[in-house]
Amino acid sequence: MHSFVRPNTHIALRLPSGILKVIEVKPNTSINLGKYGTFPACLLFGRPYYLTFEVLDKDDGRSSTELRVVPASELHAEALGEEHVASESRDEPGEGGGAEFDIVGEDGAVIMRSNRLTIDDPSRQKLSMEEIEELKKAGTGSGKDIIAKIMASHQAIDEKTSFSLAKYTLRKARKYLKRFTVLPLDVGTLTEYVTEKEAYKVLEVREESLGLISSWANVHHGGASRYLTAQDEISQIGGGRWLVVDDTGGLIVAAMAEKMGILYPTEEGDEESEEEDAVTESFAEAQLGRSISRDREGSKEVSLNGTAGETTATRDIDTAMPDASSEPTNGTPTTSTPAPNPATPSTTSNGPSKSRKHHQHTSQMTARTNTLTVLHPNSQPNLAFLKYFSFDSGAPAPSHPLYHHLRSLSWLSLISPHEDPAYDEPELLSEEALAGLKSSKRGNYYKKRRRWEKTSMVVDETGRGGFDGLVVASTMEPASVLKHLVPLVRGGGRVVVYSNSVEPLVELCDFYSKERRTAWVARQYETELRKPNGKVKKEMKEDDEDKEEKVNGELDGDDDADFPVNPTLLLAPSLQTARARHWQVLPGRTHPLMTSRGGAEGYLFTGTRVLPVEGKVEARGTFRGKKRKTVTEDAVQT
Amino acid sequence: MAPHPSPFLDPGTCAANDTLGIIQLRRDHLIPAVLSSTTDSDYAEGKVENTRFGSFPHSTLINQPWGTQILASAVDTGSRGQKGKKRKREKDDEGDATPGQDAEESRRDLAKAVTASSGFAHLIPPTPETWTLSLPHRTQVVYTPDYSYILQRLRVRPGDHIIEAGAGSGSFTHAAVRSVFNGYSREQAAQPPQQIEDGDEARIGITMKTRKRLGHVYSFEFHKPRAEQLKAELEEHGLGALVTVTNRDVYHDGFCVPAGEDGKLAPDADVIFLDLPSPWLALKKLTRSLPSQAVLKAVSSSDPSTPSADTSATTPQLPAADEPFRSPLNPKGAIRICTFSPCIEQVTKTVSAMRSLGWLEIDMVEIMAKRLEVRRERIGLQEEGLRGANPSPASVHEAVQRLRDVEGRAHVFHSLQKEKQEVIMRRAEAKKRGEKVAPLKEELGDGKQKVNFEALPPSKHDRLERAKKDLEKREIFKEGRLVHRTESEIKTHTSYLVFAVLPREWSKEEEEKARKKWS
Repeated sequence: MHSFVRPNTHIALRLPSGILKVIEVKPNTSINLGKYGTFPACLLFGRPYYLTFEVLDKDDGRSSTELRVVPASELHAEALGEEHVASESRDEPGEGGGAEFDIVGEDGAVIMRSNRLTIDDPSRQKLSMEEIEELKKAGTGSGKDIIAKIMASHQAIDEKTSFSLAKYTLRKARKYLKRFTVLPLDVGTLTEYVTEKEAYKVLEVREESLGLISSWANVHHGGASRYLTAQDEISQIGGGRWLVVDDTGGLIVAAMAEKMGILYPTEEGDEESEEEDAVTESFAEAQLGRSISRDREGSKEVSLNGTAGETTATRDIDTAMPDASSEPTNGTPTTSTPAPNPATPSTTSNGPSKSRKHHQHTSQMTARTNTLTVLHPNSQPNLAFLKYFSFDSGAPAPSHPLYHHLRSLSWLSLISPHEDPAYDEPELLSEEALAGLKSSKRGNYYKKRRRWEKTSMVVDETGRGGFDGLVVASTMEPASVLKHLVPLVRGGGRVVVYSNSVEPLVELCDFYSKERRTAWVARQYETELRKPNGKVKKEMKEDDEDKEEKVNGELDGDDDADFPVNPTLLLAPSLQTARARHWQVLPGRTHPLMTSRGGAEGYLFTGTRVLPVEGKVEARGTFRGKKRKTVTEDAVQT
Repeated sequence: MAPHPSPFLDPGTCAANDTLGIIQLRRDHLIPAVLSSTTDSDYAEGKVENTRFGSFPHSTLINQPWGTQILASAVDTGSRGQKGKKRKREKDDEGDATPGQDAEESRRDLAKAVTASSGFAHLIPPTPETWTLSLPHRTQVVYTPDYSYILQRLRVRPGDHIIEAGAGSGSFTHAAVRSVFNGYSREQAAQPPQQIEDGDEARIGITMKTRKRLGHVYSFEFHKPRAEQLKAELEEHGLGALVTVTNRDVYHDGFCVPAGEDGKLAPDADVIFLDLPSPWLALKKLTRSLPSQAVLKAVSSSDPSTPSADTSATTPQLPAADEPFRSPLNPKGAIRICTFSPCIEQVTKTVSAMRSLGWLEIDMVEIMAKRLEVRRERIGLQEEGLRGANPSPASVHEAVQRLRDVEGRAHVFHSLQKEKQEVIMRRAEAKKRGEKVAPLKEELGDGKQKVNFEALPPSKHDRLERAKKDLEKREIFKEGRLVHRTESEIKTHTSYLVFAVLPREWSKEEEEKARKKWS
């Protein structure tokens, strides 16, 4: 992954000013970096990431624009050089201490000056603005000459302390050096890019929050996980499935998908092959994982409920794929067939395309393990940021792993599926009737059937619950989201809610507070006593992720105000935040950065879904003070 | 051993026998337990976890769905000690002479656990987070805020190979396995690999291709008992096939290990995490090609203070001369590294070594994490005498009202006193005059006084009584102001994290090839 720059992918360029520029590199185009120069995109193809290039163009006497790789030693030259100086001056501990003395080396040469004599006056730079502009136009030697000339014509350059000289040089370098660094556009780089420009679009989520979210939600590759049936024979458990509510335009989904190994389209030449353009792997690696999981003894594998028509075809893929990819010859560099055109990623996976030939359409969202299920408030999910990872949620390419592993459904389909027209089964036509239809109508018919199959499968499976975790990063009221989604999380599953401000989460913590839980349990107990066969049984059933109950039997209205969520379903609700502080590390000048981005800190609510015991539970334990008391539901502290 | 999926990666529906389960008592009080249905225990119920929230026999945990609230059982913890000791002594005395008796004992049925009247816990599946909170500490632990950021910044993804040096207590190891895991290889599933001993690199060369690059953690630990314990733990957690634990001094002997089952060169690392006292010494072993003497000198000269540095800088060069150089790094991609050091001096040395060795994108950060506690702050006079609240006045109005009450009572009391005084005076005067005096009681005990008392503001005693009585009707869970604050104990410094990237090596020939191919 990300071993070299490929055509038609998004990459990030870091300019000398520190600004990130995200571009899609297309063949036969040129990349314009403004004052830092212009060069043809093909000069980047096949080159590794993280290299820094210098633009050498016609001004430097070349016939065509070229890129020069700036070696690491050159990039670090300044820091390493200073280090030498710093280590020398370290030998004389008396000097450079608290007082502002000039530091003089053994041979009498001044190594470090104090800023006692510094004069703050722009006129000390002899070059005028116009002259500098002239120099830029003449443009010799990738900016280095300009910097050298500017430095040379600064009247008081030798009055500067070495620190201020370094700063001055750096400032000039940022302005004039025609350099850039090529970075892979992964979740980390994208986060940096987006938070610099339009942080509000991603709820100001920082990298540290993304890390915490993935860790606390226990997000990992679940391709090998078993997809099991719970004891009630209805609910599903596990399978590496996570539920997401994402109002960050898909950034949270991308971060989770990265951790699950389904974000990046498998690129040829990444892994085994020596030849860069050999095909190695099909997109269907998860299917392989699934076939392994099927082999596992003791797992009650639920087979896909084939409904009609196309679903059978889907099943064909599902069973055919692992066979195809487990052929020992497939993927070895010697026997692999070169891709017809490496520039078009959609045609690269030719293994599966062969098996796909006899049915033109590959159903979307068919993967059953290692999946992300996105709940969205509008009829379509907003996953705009996934475009940087070659996934267009409007018209997804079947070769992208998210095509199979990303599922989406609207809140309407979850809460009341029968109001969603896509959930109503379109009329099933017989073979003869179909044969009589016009081809366009037949196509339409199949399209409708497929849409219905997709929707009903996703809605039904989501309703069966048992998700391994729930991640919420939404502008919606957290309690309203958790009320509906926590019951869909498996016992022991993780619930994580991100918010850019702390107040909604403080409120949420309060809804799961120890006191509220105690009150809830007491109330349940009372009602149970009053009518032994009534309401309580019903509500308890809801805890058991019974889908029917969930849809129809919502909590009674009078409980809603005091108990917007069932407080007994989450264990150890906690609130946390983390912030990275960046440092400058230079010999003798190590300190935290003077400025950094403010704004939202980013807070995280975490909890574990549990299955409470029915009836009254007495807690035990020692409490503060001498009295030993028995209090209901007090042992697990919030 | 059956290809048991690790409970960390796929816990299944229920807590199975012989797998790790976590018993959560409080938020930060978790007990890890390998659940076992053996009868080989001193308790009648088999294996039991005793906590201050009750006793939990394993038989009440096994085959329970994860997340279940488990009620404590009444376990006889008193008589077991003596009986156990006695039995042990017997065994010691008779040696191996009584296998039949032992077998008989283990065949006996477990006593059915009786639910206790109080106490409960929750049974949850293990995750790196819960394990980090509950693991047996051997060294300083890398906590969740740090490792989550590290794994995020290092872009650790399924299928990556990660080197971890200074495995320590294994918290990072577990988190790293979760990040790189993308399936078990068939061989791994079939047989757990043996502990790799240093030096048998002869097995390299079995070339067998697998399609998918499987994620793997290469863990190095200098301290032998710690390495062995980690190894045992990972085996117990079903992660043994995904982690190679090597007991080695990486400063001297580097990071190359014998090839794995797939016959490929190992570690072939993409990501490196160094939690070592002197990361710059390990950095010399993490190069793409044999570093030049000048560079090595630069790296070791950056560390004049540590005497061990000089010796290690010279000695490893000798064996390197007769052995062909092998890089532990993946030649195909950029290598991401993170070093974890508590002191700023370590950072300075590490960063300068990185600069000498050609690492780029060097960045140092410090993670400041805190947990917040949320509570309802109840302030007001109605809280007088109640626990967990502040009984001072909630507002100026309340304060004034209270002062009025106090003054009112004082006034009544004083006028009462005055009256009493006057009565006494009058009686005294009357006595003096020789008049007959009625008993005192009558005069004070008349109805007028009583009415006066009822109209009085309540006494402290009355107020306390009333507060207690009101409490039963109040809904405390939604009273008071909702506040949040940093928890009482915070970690203000864990370590400095230095991140860097080593790009893929790029030669003139490769540049030429790329130029020809793409233009």
